[in-house]
Amino acid sequence: MAAERGMAAEALVGQVVLPGDLLLLPAHYDEDAEGERLRLSAGTAPQGRLLCGPGLRRSGAGLLVTKCGLLRHRPGGGGAYWVDSQQKRYVPVKGDHVIGIVTAKAGDVFRLDVGGSEPASLSYLAFEGATKRNRPNVQVGDLIYGQFVVANKDMEPEMVCIDSSGKSSGMGIIGQDGFLFKVSLGLIRKLLAPKCEIIQELSQLYPFEMVLGMNGRIWVKAKTVQQTLIVVNILEACEHMTAQQRKQALAKLSGN
Amino acid sequence: SCIIEERSFLRCEDLVYGRMSFKGFNPEIEKLMIQMNSKCKEEKIEEDDKMEADVSDEEMARRYETLVGTIGKKFLRKRDQRVLKDDDEDEDDEVEEGNSNARPSKRAKKMFLKPQD
Repeated sequence: MAAERGMAAEALVGQVVLPGDLLLLPAHYDEDAEGERLRLSAGTAPQGRLLCGPGLRRSGAGLLVTKCGLLRHRPGGGGAYWVDSQQKRYVPVKGDHVIGIVTAKAGDVFRLDVGGSEPASLSYLAFEGATKRNRPNVQVGDLIYGQFVVANKDMEPEMVCIDSSGKSSGMGIIGQDGFLFKVSLGLIRKLLAPKCEIIQELSQLYPFEMVLGMNGRIWVKAKTVQQTLIVVNILEACEHMTAQQRKQALAKLSGN
Repeated sequence: SCIIEERSFLRCEDLVYGRMSFKGFNPEIEKLMIQMNSKCKEEKIEEDDKMEADVSDEEMARRYETLVGTIGKKFLRKRDQRVLKDDDEDEDDEVEEGNSNARPSKRAKKMFLKPQD
């Protein structure tokens, strides 16, 4: 078996990588791993730790790729490498904000379907201002926007609708009406990028409200049913359209 | 330096908050959008505003001084309370004597009395 020699990580940023590729990191990471030398000159060594994101795994001298996709790099804050891959199936991750559908009430705990392998659990006390006597009004079939507090492969995922300071900050039961649909995870991340063009162009069309869950679910609500459906169709189709086609489609709509 | 493994995209990329509203459809969420996105850019400045006090600190100190005396009287034993009441009814000159009489008697009671042979 021929041992594959890895390539430098910096050279492959923005290019397609396949599972099994070995990425070599710049030398100073290795030196620090071998012996703890104090760096007197704060010249080249980046401060902080390297973040090895989704799709990558630490292996000996470098990073091993586990998913196929584009390699991305962020230089700030110690540096981060991750693989921008495409998938439809969501795997619960701690800290992610997701939209869940209530499927059952079991005593003090709600069971939510988040699109993962197991239903997530949500305690009735995990809402803002909820006490034992003051229970939140949640029915089976409601939509809930919350974040994961426990999500690993050994345990059932748990969700809460408050953040660490006890405030809801937008999480909780999503209101009446509106339309829920599913898209791929890559599109969600594209939409959530700062200054996303699709969102900016859509916001010029009609007043509407939108909730994006990292599990691929989007909930849209506009004033009329027709406007809601138009927004839904654009969001579903924009993954496969080029920027030009999208602008043409939007121009037609705003002309109507 | 160490390499940290991370399974969440949130820590790698700079993603905005997932709840959005446009053109005034839901004003609360629009406020939230501004708040959340400015939190990401600046470092979190939480709880800078202290609650404005209804009562100033000086007045609070004054009231507390007198309050300690008033509440202290509540926990005196019955005999001492009667003594104090008589003192209050009498004129101010006798109040001090009454008080001074009360206090040594209190001190005497508290100290261990050796049996006199």
